[in-house]
Amino acid sequence: MTQATSILTVDDSPSMRALLLAALQKEGFIVEQAEDGQEALEWLAQNDVDVVITDINMPRLDGFGLIEQLRASARHADRPILVLSTESSQEKKSRARNAGATGWIVKPFDAEKLATAVRRIAH
Amino acid sequence: MSIVQPPPLSAARIRRVTVMQGQVEVSSDPHVELTTVLGSCVATCLFDPVARVGGMNHFLLAEPPKQDEAVEFDSHYGLFLMELLVNEMIKLGAVKSRMKARLYGGANINLALSAIGTANAQFARDFLRSEGIEKAFEDLEGQQARRVHFRPASGLVRCRQAVGEDNSTQKPVMRPKAALGDVELF
Repeated sequence: MTQATSILTVDDSPSMRALLLAALQKEGFIVEQAEDGQEALEWLAQNDVDVVITDINMPRLDGFGLIEQLRASARHADRPILVLSTESSQEKKSRARNAGATGWIVKPFDAEKLATAVRRIAH
Repeated sequence: MSIVQPPPLSAARIRRVTVMQGQVEVSSDPHVELTTVLGSCVATCLFDPVARVGGMNHFLLAEPPKQDEAVEFDSHYGLFLMELLVNEMIKLGAVKSRMKARLYGGANINLALSAIGTANAQFARDFLRSEGIEKAFEDLEGQQARRVHFRPASGLVRCRQAVGEDNSTQKPVMRPKAALGDVELF
C-alpha cells in the first residue's frame, strides 16, 4: 500500500476551506490548510506536500503570486499546483499557465473530478 | 384617500435588473437597481460603502431526500453563489473586509412542508458569521413572499411584501452537472 497523497489547500474563505477539507478527506487524502498565499509560502518553507490547490483572490499574496514564487524556488519547481477558482476566463487561465500552474478547476467543484485530477498529477 | 408621491426625477434613468434564482449581479452604476421576488429563496445584498460597489445573489438550496439523512442540503451550491458575489465585487474594486450584508427572504410559505425557508436563512447567517462579514440587517423567515429592490452603488434597499406576484422561483435550481468542476490540465 502506498502512502496517502497529501494536499495543501490555500483559500481565504473559512467556508471553502471546510468544504474542501471534508471533500478531500472523504476521498482519502491528507489535507493541510493555509489562509492565503503568504501563509502557504511560509508553511511550504518548512513542510512538504504532494499537491497544492490554490484559490486566486486572496489577501496579502494571491494565487498567481503564490505560483510564481513557488516556481522560482528549486524545491517547488516541479510541485503540482492546481488552481481552484470561480473564474473561467481564458485570460486568467493563460496567466496561471504562464506562471507555472499545472491545471485549472472551475468552482463549484465536483469532489470526484477534483480527486481524479489530483491523482493524475501527484508524483 | 392615499397620497401618491411622484417618482424622483432620476427614476426615469434607473435601469432595473432582475436577479433570478441561481444568479449573481454586481454593479457600481448609480442608475442600476437590482430587483427580485423571494419566497423560500434567500437574497444577499452585499455592499462596500467605500468603493460604492454592491451586488445581489439569489439562491434556494435543495433539500436532501427524506431517507438520506446523512446528506446535508446542497450548501456547496449556496457557497458558490456567495463566493461568486464576493469575487465579482472585488473585480469592481470592493474589499471583502469592508463588505456589509443585508439578508432577505427565507419565508416558510407552505407550513405543511418542512421549513426550507428557515434552512436557507440559517445557511446565509452561518456563512456571514464564518466569513466575518458584517450583517447590517436581516428580514428573513415569516410566511410572506417579499420583493426586494437594491441600489448597488448606494447600498439602499427597499423590501415589501409581495402579494399576488409571480413567485416562480420556488424550485431549487440544481447545479448544471455537465459543466460542474471542469478540469483543465495545462
